[in-house]
Amino acid sequence: MKSLEEHIKEALKCVRCGACKSVCPSFDVRRREPSSPRGRVALIEASLKGEEGLGGMYVGHIKECTLCGSCLNNCPNGVDVPGLVMAARAEHVRREGLSPVASFALRNMLSSDRFMPWALKLASKLQGLFLKSSSVENGLVSRFSLPFIGGGRLLPELAGVFFMDRRHVRALSEAKGDSSKPRIGFFVGCGVNYLLPDIGESTVRVLNEAGAEVVVPSGQVCCGMPALSTGDVKTARSLALKNLEAFEQGEYDYIVTSCATCGHGLKNIFRELLSDEEDGMSARVERFSSRVKDITELLEGILSYKGRAGEGSGDRVVTYHDPCHLRKYQGISEEPRLLLEKTGLRFKGMKNPCKCCGLGGGLAFSNYELSMEIARKKAEGVRGCGADIVATACPGCIIQLKDALHRYGVRAKVVHVVELL
Amino acid sequence: MPRTWMSRTMLSDTVKSELERIAGTANVSFAREDLICYSYDATNNPVAPDAVVFPGGAEEVSLILKMANSERFPVVPRGAGTGFTGGSLPVEGGVVLSTERMRSIRGIDTENLTADVEPGVVTGELQSEVEGLGLFYPPDPTSLKFSTIGGNIAECAGGPRALKYGVTRDYVLGLEVVLPTGDIIMTGTKKTVKGVVGYDLTRLVVGSEGTLGVVTRAFLRLLPLPEATRTMLVKFSSLEDAARAVSAIISARIIPSTLEIMDSVSIRCVDEFAKIGLSGVEAVLLIEVDGREDGVERDVADVERICKENRSVEFRVAADRFEVKDLWKVRRSISPALKRIKPTKLNEDVVVPRSRLVELISGIQDIARKRGVVIASFGHAGDGNIHVNVMVDGNDPREARAGGDAVRDIFDLTVALGGTISGEHGVGITKAPYINMELTDQDIEAMKRIKRALDPSGVLNPGKIFPSPDTGAPRG
Repeated sequence: MKSLEEHIKEALKCVRCGACKSVCPSFDVRRREPSSPRGRVALIEASLKGEEGLGGMYVGHIKECTLCGSCLNNCPNGVDVPGLVMAARAEHVRREGLSPVASFALRNMLSSDRFMPWALKLASKLQGLFLKSSSVENGLVSRFSLPFIGGGRLLPELAGVFFMDRRHVRALSEAKGDSSKPRIGFFVGCGVNYLLPDIGESTVRVLNEAGAEVVVPSGQVCCGMPALSTGDVKTARSLALKNLEAFEQGEYDYIVTSCATCGHGLKNIFRELLSDEEDGMSARVERFSSRVKDITELLEGILSYKGRAGEGSGDRVVTYHDPCHLRKYQGISEEPRLLLEKTGLRFKGMKNPCKCCGLGGGLAFSNYELSMEIARKKAEGVRGCGADIVATACPGCIIQLKDALHRYGVRAKVVHVVELL
Repeated sequence: MPRTWMSRTMLSDTVKSELERIAGTANVSFAREDLICYSYDATNNPVAPDAVVFPGGAEEVSLILKMANSERFPVVPRGAGTGFTGGSLPVEGGVVLSTERMRSIRGIDTENLTADVEPGVVTGELQSEVEGLGLFYPPDPTSLKFSTIGGNIAECAGGPRALKYGVTRDYVLGLEVVLPTGDIIMTGTKKTVKGVVGYDLTRLVVGSEGTLGVVTRAFLRLLPLPEATRTMLVKFSSLEDAARAVSAIISARIIPSTLEIMDSVSIRCVDEFAKIGLSGVEAVLLIEVDGREDGVERDVADVERICKENRSVEFRVAADRFEVKDLWKVRRSISPALKRIKPTKLNEDVVVPRSRLVELISGIQDIARKRGVVIASFGHAGDGNIHVNVMVDGNDPREARAGGDAVRDIFDLTVALGGTISGEHGVGITKAPYINMELTDQDIEAMKRIKRALDPSGVLNPGKIFPSPDTGAPRG
């Protein structure tokens, strides 16, 4: 990970031109300089240089960032603002520690392969006590007025049986030895595993249809991006190592994920997280990361998936939302659209398809109201194009979009591209 | 006039609580985080204020300015804080008055073709809004996606379309302005293009860089949106050929809506960033024509002929709106991307009559050689307004001095060619030491008299435009 000097050098690349203000989702809502990328760079630069007077407002502003990368993509000098924000959050955690809830969630749950599933299984059984199905959309709303989960917030339902616990998925934990087909290691990710297992089912099904053999290695854990986005570098690093080991147990032509955020983490962040580790690590990481593909680029670009009739033809309208982690950080925007053309549905582009949904960077947890204000524009975009279905390629975006469409009264299903194939 | 400020590091508690009473506690800040964020503009030479206020309208602004006069502290208006000459920097401390809260589009009158907007409205957002109604607000500064109408009015912003459509002052019908003493006045008209009752204070305020009043409402003129636009990129093997093509196009009585030029230095820098195959090209023209569908086709054919007559190497018309966007992104990225050549950019925007453009550009190249510095030239060749960027390493004293000398040479050349040393960016702090090159003592005195008349205590945006012991120092 970068040194203090390297971070200051990065911050000094900013010439304060202000171009980032035109693309930042949190500035778009707040309309105050400190909530813009330029403002965040100025604050972080001051903090790096030892400025004494920064307090809760500083922490609040660095938490407002969704890490969407729109600023970085638009900056003529390529200032890595998301990287600076993550470093600032990490520094804050180093000094002040994580909040008790975050600490518990990240340290014990996401990183453990025993406690987390146990706790979530319990939650899955008990969720009916506090939550009930929404009558309007696929998800749960709170029965009572409770902090954090109340107020009509649409929560994703915990799967009855988690994806990786399912018998037919467990049977895929090792390769069969059929070397004629491309062998794909499936990195499932927490979103798919615990909340949206249908995406997992569709991913396996479509990969099989495309002529690939799918393996779901059992030792895999959370990709670590949630931990990293809150500043918990230590947990992120240990998760990365565990995942590296899990996928080194087998030989894979490619490692696929259906989550844009996991994909960015596996492709780009692992290198940074593990760069200080012992010799030989960078080669291992390179072997791993260079093989990672998003499901859409694998199907469209590599396996040349032909598609079939799919969900039904002609009269239903589908639109596509670009996840930030897929378009901005992995440069993938054509393949999902080309795949949607193969479904037989009528495609209509929405306004601002690549504008951030507002979930990222932990914002949906740390500042729910702001994340919903950011999501408002997405909801209006869906409403404006008259789509019946919103397809995207990230479970995080799916959860956020479902909540936003529910909140703003827009009737449309939200699915992963792969579920339509 | 003698000026004694309240201590630069402190506003009194009375003032602080009064500010909160006027604007509401949520709209006043003394927090270090805000003082840092409201200390800079695009010149990147920060000066921290003592407070930041977000008034909601003319009444609040008026009360703040009245108090500024009685309690003696500076007030500095600020839009997006993206100006190039230090106009929104609180160089003498005091209160930054941000327009971020005043950002509604009050109304768009599609019959009378006018708009009523608050100063914090982002120019590009106004343009999207009116274009959705088939209307057009022409002034298009490079910063339009993030700069504000108020800021544009303060600096009389231009843009590539100025050649055909004029600048901000040509689109302001009237203003609601709070004078430095706190009086709220209306200037000009709200809905009519014509009106000549009393002095033209609208024209006085536009371009006054936030020193004669705070605009709290602007009444703007709109045009119908042109039916069609065509965008062309033309490559030349020499800068002189390109400059001659520019003159030839205008002489042929074709008025493109945009006629931009980029020299090899700017091209090389942007090509690394945008990668659209511009390597090896010495000069580029970015040309746009707009109007009715058949008219633009004829214009494109004529422009192509003229460019080829002037030895163009390649002529390309953008095939779709994506290509148009790519070409424009190249132009809009030049300014900040230049920092990759050398860390310090001395950014000037000089104007000469179009007929003398070739002399200006060749003269600048001679200056670059003479002073041993890198100079990038690009900009609105159609109206003779060239952004000249002298690139130096500010940490190297020899280079910094050479850069300053080069700037002075460029100003000398500009004035000698009958031009002006600032086309769009205003004077602010950065050009204050040079205005004597263009204005006589009587010119300056006349302006100062107006300033004194409207702002007897000198509270509004002090230290700008007119050289003083403070602003005379060289800037970075």
